[in-house]
Formats: sequence, C-alpha cells, structure tokens
Amino acid sequence: MNAPVSAPSDPAVSGLAVDPPVPDEREKLLEVRGLRTEFATSRGTVAAVRDVDLVVHRRERMAIVGESGSGKSAMAMSIVGLLQPPGRVVGGQVLLGGKDLRGLSDREWSKVRGRRISLVFQDAMSALDPIRTIGSQMTESIRTHQAISKRVARSQAVDLLGEVGVSNARQRLSDYPHQYSGGMRQRVLIAMALANSPELVIADEPTTALDVTTQAQVLELLDRLVTDRGAALMLITHNLGIVAGYCDIVKVMYFGKFVEESTSAELFRAPAHPYSRELSKCVLRTDQEVQGRLATIPGSLPDPTEPVTGCSFEPRCPVGHGNPLCRGTEPVMLPFGPPQADHRSSCHFSGKLTADADS
Amino acid sequence: MTTLILRRLGVALATVFGASMFSFLVLRKLPGDPARLVGGELADETTIANLRAAMGLNKPLPAQYWDYLTHLVRGDLGFSYSMGQPVATLVRTRLPASIELGITAVLIAVIWATSYAAFAVYRRRRGVDTSLRVTSSIAMGSPSFWLALVLILVLSVKLGIFPGPEGRLSPSLSPPPTRTGLYTLDALLAGQFSTFFNALWHLILPGFTIAVGPFAFISRLFRSQLRNSVREPFALVARSRGLTRRKVFLRHVVPNSLLPLVAVTSMLVAELMTGSVLVEKVFAWPGVGSLTVDAILQKDFSVVQGVILLSAVLYVTASFLADIAYVVIDPRVRVGAH
Repeated sequence: MNAPVSAPSDPAVSGLAVDPPVPDEREKLLEVRGLRTEFATSRGTVAAVRDVDLVVHRRERMAIVGESGSGKSAMAMSIVGLLQPPGRVVGGQVLLGGKDLRGLSDREWSKVRGRRISLVFQDAMSALDPIRTIGSQMTESIRTHQAISKRVARSQAVDLLGEVGVSNARQRLSDYPHQYSGGMRQRVLIAMALANSPELVIADEPTTALDVTTQAQVLELLDRLVTDRGAALMLITHNLGIVAGYCDIVKVMYFGKFVEESTSAELFRAPAHPYSRELSKCVLRTDQEVQGRLATIPGSLPDPTEPVTGCSFEPRCPVGHGNPLCRGTEPVMLPFGPPQADHRSSCHFSGKLTADADS
Repeated sequence: MTTLILRRLGVALATVFGASMFSFLVLRKLPGDPARLVGGELADETTIANLRAAMGLNKPLPAQYWDYLTHLVRGDLGFSYSMGQPVATLVRTRLPASIELGITAVLIAVIWATSYAAFAVYRRRRGVDTSLRVTSSIAMGSPSFWLALVLILVLSVKLGIFPGPEGRLSPSLSPPPTRTGLYTLDALLAGQFSTFFNALWHLILPGFTIAVGPFAFISRLFRSQLRNSVREPFALVARSRGLTRRKVFLRHVVPNSLLPLVAVTSMLVAELMTGSVLVEKVFAWPGVGSLTVDAILQKDFSVVQGVILLSAVLYVTASFLADIAYVVIDPRVRVGAH
C-alpha cells in the first residue's frame, strides 16, 4: 500500500514524476457522503457543513485547510458524533470500514472513539481534566479499550510518554496538567490519542496554541507516530504552510464545502481555485523576505443566514468578482490537470488558473 | 501552607474575639435590667441594688467585659439565673442533641441537593431542570418554622407517619446509655435497635426541615457548577477518548463541580445554625437552639451570650477547616507548576 505521493515533503522535486496512484486498490477507511451539519441560531438555522463528500484511505495523510468558520471543526466533530448543541448533523453518512457510524448508541460509539478514531485537540490545557493526574487520565484512556490491569496500563503510559519525548516519564505520570508546559501537554494529548493504535487520527489545529519552534516538533512527532502505527491522519488547519511537509492530500474548505482537492504537491504547484491561491499567498515563507504588508484575503465569509446564489467566494474573489457567471451559477467540482494528481476544483476559471501556473 | 494556616488562625481568633465583644455590648445596651429580672417584680430597691453589685453591673463596661473575658478563658460562661445552672453546663448537656440533628440535616441536604442537581444536569430534560429550579425556589422561600408547623400538622397530626413534637425519643422509651450523646449512635453501641429506629424516626422531620434551606443553596450552586463543567473542553475530550457520557459525567464532571462546594461549607454551617434555632423550638428538640429561644424570652443574657460565642467558634472553625481542605484537595493550589 503505497502513499500516493512518495516525497511530499519536497514539493519542488515531487509532483508529476511519481507512480500514478491506483485509487481502486487502496482500501477506503473513512467515507463521508453528503454530510450536512446545521446550527440553530437566534437568526435561524445555519448550515456549517454543506453536503460534504470525503474519502480517507488507510495510511493516508490528509489536510483539511480553510479559514476560521469555514466548517472544518464542525465537520470533524460531526464525523465522530460529538457535535455539540446547538449543532446538529442533519444528513449524510459517515462510513468507517463500510459501516455507518451515524445512529450508533453511546456505548457503541465508545468502541469507536479513542479506539478506531482518535482526536487531538488544539488547546491542551483545557483538554485535560485539571484535577486528575496525567497518569490517571492516560490509564483511563487505555483501560477503556483494553482489558488490562492498572499496572500494565501504567507501564504502557510510561512507554507512551517516553515515546512522545516526556523525560522522566515514570515520575511525571503523577503530575497534574498544570505542571506540564504547553508543548508537553500537547505531546500528552498525542500520546493519549495514539494509546490504542487507532486507524484514524483527526488532529484539529493541534499546534495553534504553541509557539513556532514547538509547533514544528509537535507536528514532526504526530507525523512520526501516525506513520509508525500505520494510522491515517486528518490534519485540520488554517495554515497551508504546515500542510506541504506532512500531508499527501489537501482539501480546501470554504463556507462549509470543499472548493479544491488534490495531492499537496499539485495543489502547491498549480492551485486551481482562487481561494487556495490566495490562501497560499498568506503563508509566511522563510526563504522569501516579506515585502510590505503580509498578504490577507480581504472580506470575510458570507452571512450564513442569507441564501447563496452562485459562487460563495465571488464577493472576495480576485478573479471572478462581479462576473455574472460567478454570481449566477454555483460552480461544481470538476477534475483538472494531470489525472494522477486527482485534482478537482469548483471554480469556473480553474482551467485558466492551472494553465497560468503551467505556463 | 504554614503561613496560610497561621494567617487563617489569626483571622479566626480575631473573629471570635469580635463576636464576644459584640454580643457583650449589644446585650448590655438592650433595655431591661438583668438584676430586676433576677430579683423579680416584687423585690425592693435595696435587694436590686445588692444584686446589681453582686452581678458586677455597677462597674464600668470595660471592667465588666474584662470580668467576662477572664471568666471565659477559664471555661466559665456565666450563670443562668432563669435555669439555675452554669451556662457551660447547660450548653454541654444540650449540644449533643443539636449536633445529632445538625449532622442529619447536613446529610439530608447534601445528598438530596447533589443527587437532584446531578440528575437534572445529566438528563438534559427541560422538565427535570425546571422541577429542580422550582423546588429550590420554594425551598429558599419557605421559612423553616412555618415549614416545621406544616410538616407536623400534615405528616404527624393528620397522617401519623412521623412522631409529633416530642423531642428525641418517644416518651415511653428511656435514652440509651450515654457514650457520645448522639442517641442513634449510643443505641447502636448498646445494641438497642428499637431505640435506634425510634431516635432515627424522630430525627427525620426536624432534620428535613432544617435541611430545606441548605438544600436550596447547595442545589443551585451545584447545578450551575455542573452545567459549567459539562461544557468544559476536557469533558468533550474525555468522550473523544471513548468514555461514555455517563462515565465522563461521574469521573470528570462531578468531581470538578464538587470542588467549589467545599469553599462554601462555612455558609452551609451558618445556614444550619440559624435554621435550627426555631425548628428545635417547634419540635421541642432539647438542643442549643431551643435553649437560645428560651433564654431570649427570659432575657437571660449570659446564656444568649454563651450561645453567640459558641456559634462564632463553630462558624470560624468550619470556615477554617474548609479553607484548609480546599487547599489540600485542589491540586492546582496544592502543587505548584514545575
């Protein structure tokens, strides 16, 4: 089972010169079909996730990219059935290994969460129970899914903590969350997520609360552990910059829908959607000096209580703003570029944009 | 930790001292002549003057207070003229009855309030939650002496389920041999099970009546704590680790919500003490509360003073212990960051 792109960490070299992936031979792990999530607000019902389709294959590393409010987290929480009220999943299927997870009982879910699908959250301080030791929370996670003694679970916890780089792990098991630094807490969360060797790890902005140097270490660690255990990774982020090194597939989300998806190499080489192109301009690069102000995408997401006609990105789009076609007709996902890149985009001008990039 | 204890101890002593001074001054400044009360309506002026001299009422106030304090440190709370006994003896003999009733009330209030609030928050049903809020509003608004009368009228006079206002035991029974002073415990220790059940049965109505106020207070506080804790990210994360909603609730939400309750123990004790005074009287409970009512009606200052001091000591001790307990229990306070 090969990863679809062999050298994703180096987009300049990889790209088209790789073996074409054979999608049918890869085993589907998670399949989301037509997922729709709504939030009841004082101004009416608002859709956060709009009929999203998604397939994660085994061992695949996928990034979901989009700005705050684009529906990434709502989608993740819907997948694991933990969307909190007033949010509600109103339609679609979430298939794990072919079995629909929607409608599982609390008890059935508890065999999936933490065991087959694990989550890593962003704010590690509030993600841990402040009055229980790290050790008790880790052994609790382990013993929820494995019928082993406290002592065995504890030694597993020590191994895990050591693996994520917590020094003096045996002693630090008796410490409370507030005695750990931010980076170490995040490592603990990762260790807990991987404790039961899940098939899929969903990491929702796992590094936003950390400083830049720690971010890189934590991502490195997450990537290594996920790969070592043969798990698939769904990395949710608003930072396109960290995607290239750690993910094979990128999906760009805007206003509750995917607007572009591709291998990360292809997406960086030739973004086919104006939103992705603008997003990638916002990434700070160490190899280029910042000239003038940092790039931003002017405007904000549309008002979700208003009905959208045409393309939801049109009001902010540097390509199609004011264009009657964009205003009147909602674009659909269509394939572009080389077939092995599995590149799809929903923009009326994708062809032109990729052609520009190729020339 | 040591400095904290010392500081809290200083505050506690100052509070007790203040309470002693306050009760002394207020009671001395109230209208009415204690000597006249002791001597009676018919006593002549010379008798009264002699009594005043004997009781030290001729001395200036600071000197009287000094007398009071010097007796106090020797354990002498003064003499009750209306009951013909030293105040310390009166309080000591009546304290066990009040303690037994107080413990019963605390148990009823805490168990009732926490389980009701936990159930209401866990079930997430609007009806259950509303019923809790209505119950606690009614509980908060019901004066305990009124509630005591209603309960006696309905449950003992009309329905005959509970004993009427006859004190700690049915008149036909004699108290168990004294070891702790708590009838239920003493009866158990002596193996007198019928006495135990009788004593327990007598505890329930007054205990419940006193518990109503604290119930209202604890259930509201615990409900809001629980509602905050279930929304905490760690509760969601615990579910993402595979714990069922029930396990997350019991293992993480409830413990985190109980912690703040420790901090309000002193308020609970205050509620209990104020609640028990009239309720004891209504139920003819031979405790400190009914002693207080009798003493006030008799203008027996030394008893009232003694009871006020006792309440101050109890309150201060409870809040002191609560503060220490909070520090010991909460790891965020107990162990600093590395």
